[in-house]
Amino acid sequence: MSYATLFGGLFLAAAAVTSQAGAETISLWARSDDSTFMPKLVDAFNKSHETRVELQIVPVNELVQKYAIASAGGSAPDALSLDLIYTPAFASSGQLEDLTDLAKSLPYFSSLSPAHLSVGTFEGKIYGMPFSADASVLLWNKDLFKKAGLDPEKGPTTWAEIRADAEKVRALGADTYGYYFSGNCGGCNIFTFTPLIWASGGDIFSDGGKKATLDTPQMRDAIAFYQGMVKDRFVPAGARTDTGTNFFAAFATGKIGITPSGSFAIGALNGQYPNLHYGVTYLPGKTGGTSSFAGGDNFVVSKGTKKLGAIKEFLEYAYSLEGQTLLARNGSLPVRGDIAKQALADLDARYLIAADAMAKGRTPYSVVFNDLINSANGPWNTTLSKVLFADAGAIEPSLKEGDAAMQSIIDAAR
Amino acid sequence: MTANRDIVPSRRRPRRQWIGLLYIAPAIALVVAFFAVPLVMTAWMSLHNWPLIGRRRWIGFGNYLTLWNDHGFWNALQFTVFYTIAATIGLLAVGLALALFVERPRPGVNLYRTAFFLPVVVGFASASLLWAWLSNVDSGLFSPLAQLLGLTAAPYDLNADFTPAFWSVTLMVVWKMSGFYMVILMSGLQAVPADYHEAARIDGATWLQRFRYITLPLIRRPLALALILAVTGSMLAFDQFYIILAGGPQNQTVTAVYWIFNQSFVSFRLGYGAALSMVLLGILLILSLVQLRLLRSGEDGR
Amino acid sequence: MTVSTISGAVASPRRRMPRRIDIMSHAAGILVALLFLAPIAWAVLATFKSRSEAAQPPLPPWPTEGISLDNFRTLENFGAGILHHTLNSLIVAIATTALTILVSVLAGYGFSRYRFPLKGFFFVLVLATMMVPFQSILTPLFLILAELKLQNTLVGLVLIYVTLQLPFSVFMMRNAFDAVPPEIAEAARIDGVTGLRLLIHVLGPLVMPGIVSVGLIAFLNAWNEFLAALVLLTSQDNYTLPVLLTAVRAGHYGSIDWGAVQAGVTIMMIPCLILFLALQRHYIRGLTAGAVK
Repeated sequence: MSYATLFGGLFLAAAAVTSQAGAETISLWARSDDSTFMPKLVDAFNKSHETRVELQIVPVNELVQKYAIASAGGSAPDALSLDLIYTPAFASSGQLEDLTDLAKSLPYFSSLSPAHLSVGTFEGKIYGMPFSADASVLLWNKDLFKKAGLDPEKGPTTWAEIRADAEKVRALGADTYGYYFSGNCGGCNIFTFTPLIWASGGDIFSDGGKKATLDTPQMRDAIAFYQGMVKDRFVPAGARTDTGTNFFAAFATGKIGITPSGSFAIGALNGQYPNLHYGVTYLPGKTGGTSSFAGGDNFVVSKGTKKLGAIKEFLEYAYSLEGQTLLARNGSLPVRGDIAKQALADLDARYLIAADAMAKGRTPYSVVFNDLINSANGPWNTTLSKVLFADAGAIEPSLKEGDAAMQSIIDAAR
Repeated sequence: MTANRDIVPSRRRPRRQWIGLLYIAPAIALVVAFFAVPLVMTAWMSLHNWPLIGRRRWIGFGNYLTLWNDHGFWNALQFTVFYTIAATIGLLAVGLALALFVERPRPGVNLYRTAFFLPVVVGFASASLLWAWLSNVDSGLFSPLAQLLGLTAAPYDLNADFTPAFWSVTLMVVWKMSGFYMVILMSGLQAVPADYHEAARIDGATWLQRFRYITLPLIRRPLALALILAVTGSMLAFDQFYIILAGGPQNQTVTAVYWIFNQSFVSFRLGYGAALSMVLLGILLILSLVQLRLLRSGEDGR
Repeated sequence: MTVSTISGAVASPRRRMPRRIDIMSHAAGILVALLFLAPIAWAVLATFKSRSEAAQPPLPPWPTEGISLDNFRTLENFGAGILHHTLNSLIVAIATTALTILVSVLAGYGFSRYRFPLKGFFFVLVLATMMVPFQSILTPLFLILAELKLQNTLVGLVLIYVTLQLPFSVFMMRNAFDAVPPEIAEAARIDGVTGLRLLIHVLGPLVMPGIVSVGLIAFLNAWNEFLAALVLLTSQDNYTLPVLLTAVRAGHYGSIDWGAVQAGVTIMMIPCLILFLALQRHYIRGLTAGAVK
C-alpha cells in the first residue's frame, strides 16, 4: 500500500467523520402514554432531516426514577418529553437547561399553549416548551341517551343537567350506570374534578401554589354533587376503589352514560371501539361556565447539553403544520393555537371541542405536585376518596384535615 | 450434625480449611461488588439531604432524627409486620401441605406439581395485575361469581374495606407463592430416606407421629430456609399493595417499602429513603439472625 | 448408612394406600389443583377475547364473540418486536441460571464441607443481600456498573441478577450438601476421590434436586424481573420482555388495557412452563441417579 493511498484513505475517513459530526444525534425520552404519536413524529423527522433523534419510550410510572438515576450516572438523555406537571419540580432542582432565548426566538411564540408555558416557567425563565396536549372533557354515550329518551346530540351543561341525565340513563337497567369516575386515582381526579371547581369560580391552590385552598364553598358543592350521585347509585360500585385502571375502560364498555375523561379518549375510542357512539362536551361549572385541565407534556432539555441547535431543529419541526397535524392525528392535541384548526382540519369534529377546551385550560402550579396530588397516598387522593364515598356530615372535617395536610407538605418543601 | 461434618475434613488436613474460602470466593466477590459496595453508598446517601434530582447537601444524622418521629413509617412498619405474620403462616402451611401431597411418585403426581407450581411462573407484578382485574367489582370475576353463587345480592367490592382487601391480597400471595415453598420443602422431603418411614411404620407409628418425629426434624433446614425467605419477602412486600390497592383503603395497606418508595420517588427525597432502607435492613438482619439462632439451637438440642 | 441402602430405599416399593383414601385424596388434589389453575385459565382465555368483550366481567371465561387476536397485535406494536425482546430475555435468563448454579454450588459446597475464618460472617453477608429494598440500591448499582463499563449491557444485568439469587441459592445448596450422609463422602475419600472431583462426580448427582430448584428459580426471577432491566439498560434494543409489557400496560392515568395485560401474562408464562415440565423428571432422576452411583 502506497503512502498516497494510505493518506487518501485517512483523508476520506476524516471527511466521513466531519460529515457525521454535522448530523448530530439527540437522545429523547418520552413516557409510554406518548407511544401513540411520539414514534411517528420522530420517524417523520428522521426521514426528512439530517439530524437524528433517538427515541426511547419509558413506562410512565418509572420515567422520573429512570431519569434521575441516569442523570446521577451522567447518562441523562439530551431531552425529555415530561408530564407537564413535573416541570416546576424539575426546574427548581436546577436540572434543566434555560430555554427562554430559544422560545422567544420562535415567531409563533405567543400562540404556544399558555397553560404549558405557565408550568414550564420557573422564576421568570422558561424551562419547559409545550409539546403534546391532552385536555379534560366530558363524554356522553349517545346510544344510551337515545334509549333513555334524552336528546342524543345534546350533552349536559350544568351539574344539575349531568345529574338529571345520569338518573335517566341509570333507570335503563341494573347494569347500566349514569356516571363514572375513578374514585381512588389522584391523577384522574385532578384532571377531571378540579375543572368543575374552576368553572364554578374556585381553586385548590392560591398564591402561586404556596397556599392550599381545599376547603372552599365551590369544593364542598362539587363534592356534594358527586357524593349525591354515588349515594343514589348512579355510579358503579367499583368507582370507589378504582386506582385509574378503569378510567378509560369503564366508559368503553358502553354501559356508562356520562364520564369525565380526556381528549386522548377520542382517538382511543375511535380506534378501538368504533361501534360506540359518543359525544364530547366541556366540563361545566355548577350553573354553567366551562373549564378544562390542560395536560400533556412539556419538552425539557437536560442541563449542559451542547446540542441546543439540533434540539431547536426538532422542536421547530414539531411546531410546523406537518408536525402539529401528525400529533393531532395520533392522539395529542396541537399546542400551537394559531394553526390548531388547520392541523385538526380533516379530523373528527369532536377534536375541535377538545382543542377549544385546551386553549382555555388551566394547569395547577406546584413544585410538590406529585406529593400533593398524584400520589395515591397524598392528601388530595386520600381526602377525595374519603369524602366522595362518605356521609354528608364527613365532608367539612375531612376537607379541613386535607387542607392542613396539603399546607404542611407545601411548607415543608420551602 | 453440621459441626460433626465440618470437623471431619479439618481434623485430618488442617490446611484444607482455607480451601473453603476459595469455593465461596466467586459468591463473595459478587456480593461485595453488587451488594456490599452499593450498601455502603446507600449509607453515605442517607447522611445527605439528597433530592432525587438536583444538588445534595450533607446533613449528618438529620434523616435518622426525622425518621424517629415519622409516624407514617412506623405505622407502615406495623402493618408490614402484621402482613408478614399472616403471609408467612399461610405460605408455609400451604407449601408444606402441597409438598407432602406431591412428595412421592404416584399416578398423576406430575400434573399436581405442575398445577401447584404454575402460579409461581407468573411474575409478581403480572400476578398483582391479574388479581387487580379479578377482584375489580365491575369488570372482574369475584363479585359476579359471588352473586352467581348467591353469597351476596348486590355487587361486593372486596377492595373497599380493609379486612376483605387485606385477606384478598394475602390469598393472592399464597396462591402465587406456595408452589415455590412446595418445591423447596419437596427437595428436603425427598432427601429423607424412605426406610426411616418404613421402619417407623413397622414399629406402629401413626402418620402424625412419623411427621412430627421423622419428617419435621429432617426437613428443619429447608423449613428454616422457607421461613427466612417468607419472612424477608413479606417484610419487603410492595408490588401487590401498590398495584392492587394503591395502599388503600385510606392508606391502611401502605407497607414499609411502599413508604420508602413514596419518600424516594414520589416526594423525591432519596437521602431520606436511603436512611429508611438502612433501618429496615437492620430490622431484617436482626430478625434473620434470630431465626438462624433458633434453628441452630434446635439442632444442638437434638 | 451406605450407598447401597439409599438406592434400596428409593427403589423399595411404596406401600399401596387403601383404595378409598386414594380416591378421596385424588378428589381433594384435583379440586385444589383446579383452584390454583383457575385464575391463570381466566387470564389465558381472556387473551383471546375481542377488545370490547375483554372489558366485560369474565363470565363465562371463554370468548363468546369469536376468537380475536387483537390483544397480541397490541403487544406487537411496542419496541423492536416481541421476538427481539424475547431473545434478550432468554439470553439473560439462561446466563443467569448457569452462573447462579455454578457460583452457588461452589459456595454451598464450601459452606457445607469446610471450616474457615469468618465463615459465619460471610454466610450472613450473602443472606443480607435479600434484605434491602432493591429500589434503594438502584442508584449505586447504576454507578457501579458504569464504573465497570458494564452499563447498558446484558452482562451487567446478569451479574446483578445472579447476586440477587445468591441468598436463596447458596442457602439451598448448603442445605443440600449438608443433607448428604457423611458416609458417602467418606467412602469416596477412601477411594481417593476428593475436592472438586468429589463435588462433581459423587456429590453433584446427589444434590441434583437442589440444583434443579436453584436453576429453575433463577430462571424464573431473571425472566420476570423488570425494574433493574428498565433502569440499568439505557438503550431500548436491550430491553427484556417484562419491560416491554410494563410499557404496554401503562395507559393514560393508570388506565389498563386488560386484554393486552393478559396476553402479556400468557406469553411470559409459556417458556417457564415448558422449563418446569422438562425439569420435573430431574427431581426424581437426580435422586435416583445419585443413589445408584
